[in-house]
Amino acid sequence: MSAVSDPEILANSAPTARSRLADLSLSQLVIWGLILFLCLSPFALIIAVSFGEKIEGASWEWGFSLVNYQRVFVGANWPEEVTFLYLQNLYYSLYYAVFAAVIAVLLAFPFTYLMTGLSRRAQSAWLVFILSSLSLSEVFIVMGWDVLLSNRSGLPMVFKETGLTAWLKEVGWFDTLREWGLANPRNVKFKTSVFATVLTMSYLVWPYAVILLYPPLSRMDRSMIEAAQTMGAGPWTVMRTVILPSVRLPLFGATLLLFVFLLGVYVAVSVFAEPAKQTMAVSVYSAVRGATLNAPFGAAQAVILLITASVFLVLGQWMSRRASA
Amino acid sequence: MSGMNRRSLLKSASSVAGLAAASSVIGAPLIAQERSLKIGSYGGYFEDSFKAHVYPAFTEATGIKVESVTQPNSADWLVTMTQATQAGSVPTDLSLYGRATMIKASRVGGLLAPLNAKAMPATSNMDPYFVFDDTTGTIGVGAMSWFTSMVINPEEVDTPASWAEFWDSSKYEASLGLPRNFNAQFLDIVAATFFDGAETFSTKDGIIALVEKAAEIKPNVALWWSAESQMEQAMKNTDIIGGQYYLDVSNLMALDGFPIQAVFPKEGNPQDYGSWCLSSLSDKGDEAAEFINFTSDPAIQALMSRKIGTAPLVPQSKTDLTDEEFAFVSGAPSIKPAYEAYLDSETFIKETWDKMLAGA
Repeated sequence: MSAVSDPEILANSAPTARSRLADLSLSQLVIWGLILFLCLSPFALIIAVSFGEKIEGASWEWGFSLVNYQRVFVGANWPEEVTFLYLQNLYYSLYYAVFAAVIAVLLAFPFTYLMTGLSRRAQSAWLVFILSSLSLSEVFIVMGWDVLLSNRSGLPMVFKETGLTAWLKEVGWFDTLREWGLANPRNVKFKTSVFATVLTMSYLVWPYAVILLYPPLSRMDRSMIEAAQTMGAGPWTVMRTVILPSVRLPLFGATLLLFVFLLGVYVAVSVFAEPAKQTMAVSVYSAVRGATLNAPFGAAQAVILLITASVFLVLGQWMSRRASA
Repeated sequence: MSGMNRRSLLKSASSVAGLAAASSVIGAPLIAQERSLKIGSYGGYFEDSFKAHVYPAFTEATGIKVESVTQPNSADWLVTMTQATQAGSVPTDLSLYGRATMIKASRVGGLLAPLNAKAMPATSNMDPYFVFDDTTGTIGVGAMSWFTSMVINPEEVDTPASWAEFWDSSKYEASLGLPRNFNAQFLDIVAATFFDGAETFSTKDGIIALVEKAAEIKPNVALWWSAESQMEQAMKNTDIIGGQYYLDVSNLMALDGFPIQAVFPKEGNPQDYGSWCLSSLSDKGDEAAEFINFTSDPAIQALMSRKIGTAPLVPQSKTDLTDEEFAFVSGAPSIKPAYEAYLDSETFIKETWDKMLAGA
C-alpha cells in the first residue's frame, strides 16, 4: 500500500495509465461495458423501484417518493402510529447471521486445523467430501433438519422414547422449557425456535468455513509450532500464542464473509424462525411476491439491507487493515 | 466433440432447420384448422388431475386442444403475467386467479380481457356471485371452489363445537398450526366467531379489534405456516394437534390413515374460489368461452369434485354427487372472506397483522 503512495511512482504511472486506456481495443471496451452493465443494472433497477409509489388495492407505479424508506424506519401509519417492525426484522437478520457465522467458524477452525495435519491423501478426500456437500441446496438442508427436529421421527421422539421427557417433567425443568417455547404440554419441541434457525444456518455455511480456512491453515509453518513445543509450551499456549495470531485475519475474514452471505438466507428463516423473529429477507420477499404486490417497499428494504451489509464489509476491511498495519 | 468438425455441424443444423421450415409449410393449413388453448392451473396434484380428467374430456367434446401451463399460485402468477403483458407475450390464454387476485388484476387494468357472456350459457347454473363483472364486462368466471377447514387430531382432542375453543390454552397450548399470511382467512374466522363477520373489516378500529383478538391465540400456536407442506408435515408428525388447513387435502390425509379430522364448527369454514380469467393479449376469446362454458356444466363440476377434490360452484341438487361425496369437498356454513377490505386496506391490514405476529 505504501508503495503506491510514493509520489515518484505515481508520477510515472500516470502517463502509462493514459496510454493503456488508448490501447484498450473495442472488444475490451465491450467486455468492460457488459460487466459494468451486468453488475450495476440490477442495483440501479432496485434503487429506482424503491422510489416507486404503491397504489392501494392494485400494484405500484414509477415515481419519486421517499415514503417506502420512511416506512422501513417508522411503519406505514406514521405519524399517527410508530412501529419498528422492519427495524426489528433487520435486527434479527444481523442477529442470526452473526451467531451462525461465528458458530460455523468456531466449529470449522479445530476441524480444519486437525485436517491439515493429516496425510495429503486424507486431506484431499475430506476436501472432496466437503465440496460435494455444497451441492445440497438450502431447501434440502432445511427439509432434512425439519425431519430431524420433528416430533414423530426426530429429536423429540428420542427424548420421549429414552424417558428424557418424563425425567424433565419429574425434576420440573420441563416447565422452564415450556416458558422458553421449547416444549408443549406433551413433549419438547424445537420448531419454531432461534435454536433451530441458528443451527440450520451454521450447518449451511460450515463447509464454506472449512474451505475458507483451509488455505491459510495448510500454509501455516509447522516448524513454528514445533519450535514453541520444544521450548516447553503446552498445547493451549501454542494455540494462543502461535496458531491463533497467525490465522487471526483469515478467521476474521471468513466470519465476515459468511455473515454477509447469511444476511440473505430465506428458506431456513421462513421455516424455523417464529413469526416474531423473522428477518428482512423474508419481509422483502413477502412485499415483492406476496399478495400486496408492493415491489417498491420490498426494494427499499433491500436497499437498506444492502447498505447494512456494505457498512459491515467496510468496517471489516478497516479493522483488518488496522490489525495488519 | 472435437471429432465433429464445424462444417458438418453447420450442415446438419441447416438441414434440421430446413426440415422444420418444410414441415411448417406442409403443416400450415392443418394448423390453421386446429384450435388450441393454453390454460394455467396450480402445479402438482391439481394440475395433473386437470390434465388427466378435465382437458381430455374438453378436447373430446369440442376438438380444441389444451396446452397445460403450471402456475405457482395466483398472487405470484399475477406478478409473472403483469411482467409478461408489459413484455408483449404471455404464457397462457386462461389463468386461474383467486377472487382477491382477480379484483386486483382488474384494478391494475390492462391485464384481463372481457369474456363473451353470451357464449357461456352454462354459467347460469352458478350463483351470480361467482361471475365477476368490472367496468369492461365479465372478466372472471368461477372455476372451482375450496374450503380451508378447522382440523384436529382426533386421537388427542374431542371435536370442537366452535372456533372459540382454539383460544383455550388448557387444551391447545403451543399445539396449533395457523396460516401466517394476513389474507389467509384466519381473520375472517375471527370476524365470524367473535364479531360481525365481513362488516367488521370496514373500519380501522374493526380491523385492529380483529387482530387483537387473533393475538390472544398466539400462545397456542406452534406453527404459523406459509407453505402448505409445512402444515401437512406438522400434522403428520404430530408436532401440532389442530389448526386451519385445506378441507380436501385433510380428507385425503385422513383416508391415508393420518390422525387428522376436518371439522365444520358452528361458525363454519372459509370458502374461497378460483376464476378463469382471459389475458388481454390472447386472441383465443372464443375457445376460452367454450372452455368456461364446459367447466360450468354441473356434470363437469361434479367430475372435478370427484377427481380433484374441489367444491362445486353449482348447487348439489344440480349434480349427481352423493351426500358423502359432497361432504368430502364441501360443507356448511361457509364464511365468505372480506375480499374488498383486504384490497382497500391491504397495507394497513398487512402491517397490523405482521406487527401482531412480531409482537412489535
